[in-house]
Amino acid sequence: MERMIDQNVIILGGGITGLTAASELAHLGYHVEIIEKSESIGGHAVRLTCKATEKCVKCGACKVDEKIQIAHSHININIHMGCTLTGIKNGERISVYYRNQQDRKSSSNAEAVIIATGFHPFNPETKPYGYDRFKNVITSLELEKRIKEHNDIKKPSDLTPPEKIAFVQCVGSRDSSLNHLWCSKICCPSSLRMAHLIQTKQPGADISFFYIDFQNCGKDYQQFQTTIHKNFRTIRAIPGDILQTKNNHLEVSFFDPVDHKAKEEIFDLVVLSVGITPNQGNRDLSEKLGINLTEFGFFDTHNQTGMTSKAGIFAAGTACHPMGIEESLSSGIKTAFRVVEYLKNGK
Amino acid sequence: MNKVKEKSKTINLNLLNHDKCKSWDYLQDICMTCSICSSSCPVSGVDDFDPRKMVRMVSLGFEDELIQSRWPWICTMCGKCESVCPMGIDIPGIARKVRSLRDRDKVPGILHKGLSMALKTGNNLGLPDEDFIFIIEDVAEEIAEEPGFENFKAPIDKKGANLLTTIHNKLVNTHTEDLKHWWKIFYVAKEDWTVPSKNWEGTSWGLFTGDDNAMKKMAGRVADHMKQLEVKNLLWPE
Ligand SMILES: Cc1cc2nc3c(=O)[nH]c(=O)nc-3n(C[C@H](O)[C@H](O)[C@H](O)COP(=O)(O)OP(=O)(O)OC[C@H]3O[C@@H](n4cnc5c(N)ncnc54)[C@H](O)[C@@H]3O)c2cc1C
Ligand code: SF4
Ligand code: SF4
Ligand code: SF4
Ligand code: SF4
Repeated sequence: MERMIDQNVIILGGGITGLTAASELAHLGYHVEIIEKSESIGGHAVRLTCKATEKCVKCGACKVDEKIQIAHSHININIHMGCTLTGIKNGERISVYYRNQQDRKSSSNAEAVIIATGFHPFNPETKPYGYDRFKNVITSLELEKRIKEHNDIKKPSDLTPPEKIAFVQCVGSRDSSLNHLWCSKICCPSSLRMAHLIQTKQPGADISFFYIDFQNCGKDYQQFQTTIHKNFRTIRAIPGDILQTKNNHLEVSFFDPVDHKAKEEIFDLVVLSVGITPNQGNRDLSEKLGINLTEFGFFDTHNQTGMTSKAGIFAAGTACHPMGIEESLSSGIKTAFRVVEYLKNGK
Repeated sequence: MNKVKEKSKTINLNLLNHDKCKSWDYLQDICMTCSICSSSCPVSGVDDFDPRKMVRMVSLGFEDELIQSRWPWICTMCGKCESVCPMGIDIPGIARKVRSLRDRDKVPGILHKGLSMALKTGNNLGLPDEDFIFIIEDVAEEIAEEPGFENFKAPIDKKGANLLTTIHNKLVNTHTEDLKHWWKIFYVAKEDWTVPSKNWEGTSWGLFTGDDNAMKKMAGRVADHMKQLEVKNLLWPE
């Protein structure tokens, strides 16, 4: 028999963060309702491919499968798919109003709400790299999807394997002109693991990295650095622009800091390592909930409590700032415990 | 590779002094070394120059090394780097600032000569007033020989005209043909225009040498013309 506590927590967003918080709370006996905008749960993590080569490389992507399973099977968890929030009212309890895609309105009452609505991958259309115009310029998320669905790497233009691949790092991150001053934390480790995977699947693939510096590669940084520079060509410069030449080849202009020359080089696939940006819907959601966003548009959880500016409303995961799966998991767990503390201390 | 290594040895790291350019307000210290500037700059690679290197040198305080270096003078001040820089760093501003710190007699030949000449004589070439008027009238006569432009004249120092234009020295030197195109447009558009007989120079090389006083003086001359000739509109082609 599961324990049951007569208190309800509503979680907005069923990505890895929301699902983790849900499973923690459910195990402790709280009743949880997940309101998920899309028609499935798991968020971005389910779209990521396993990047294991000879062994698991701890990318974290598979962690979400277990959480999805728990969310579907746990008696204390109720999922409302395809639903969006329409408003809330603060009374004795917090009343949350939402509607589904057929416009059917519902409401639930809760003692606490966790915002776990996640992030938006940067759309690189505005960058001078021809994304959306040149078929063989793709985002890292599109590459993930390709490998996950087909277990191979193909150029979108003719579905043949690419021979010369360039990764461009920090696209949409660390950019004050976009008001994105943050490092997205995930794109270095993720794209580097992806590049290793490509070399394993397609030995001889010629892979170059255009980068500023490699960040967040974990505790074994020194070893990571050594293998990066051994296995790939690494160029410490972000390209100026990309043009398309014949046969859908891509001419990348960059300054080579080693021999101090401006160069144009041909690649047949360019992968833009896009960063984590706030969801466009954050503004609207924050207004409906009557809470604050940070100056960058993420949800503001002040003073380490995980709570927003309104009592009983918490936020976690990439809804608050950029992070990877591991950190999203721990953010989900921490926030669940803070919710419990808050509920126990009598609100 | 070896060549580059040898060169970098000549920088004495003991001279590194972060305080040196601290007060400069071009945002140089928030450069995160992405190199989009260098990847976009039209003169990157000329004499090993690239804008990232210049920005980093300023941030690290290599002021004297930069002042002595040719690099800031290779920059065309086109501004492309600044427009793509994700941190909005004023890179052409840095190039200009470094140039301003060089002794004036060490400013590269043509710029230094042209500007000193302009300050002294009113134009970069040192062209005497009579020669200038002769060239202007000569070009005007050539236009008047073309069908449809029979009464064409170039009005010099015309008081109360609607539009004053300056002249780029190149146009009365090697490119006189280029004067004709816009003068003909004035004629057809019935523009009431004029050109000054003295201090007509339209270029202002103080911009490129980092000399604000020279720029003020050149601009002041044009303003004086407008006052004296009572002209309200100005066309200042560079
Ligand atoms: C290209 C790429 C590669 C990556 N690779 C890695 C990697 O290798 N390793 C790693 O650790 N991390 C990686 N990440 C990061 C990882 O995807 C995130 O850390 C993780 O998915 C964050 O989970 P989340 O639950 O916070 O947000 P999300 O996954 O975005 O989930 C949010 C959920 O909320 C829902 N939602 C949104 N708005 C609303 C709303 N208004 N109402 C209701 N529901 C809503 C969404 O539909 C979604 O289901 C990568 C990210 C990208 C873009
Ligand atoms: S952590 Fe990543 S690499 Fe390891 S098994 Fe899971 S999905 Fe594959
Ligand atoms: S993780 Fe790497 S690619 Fe991503 S923003 Fe940070 S430095 Fe750039
Ligand atoms: S583009 Fe801006 S931030 Fe990048 S290296 Fe150049 S000056 Fe620095
Ligand atoms: S302003 Fe100078 S440094 Fe910047 S792009 Fe133009 S030439 Fe290059």
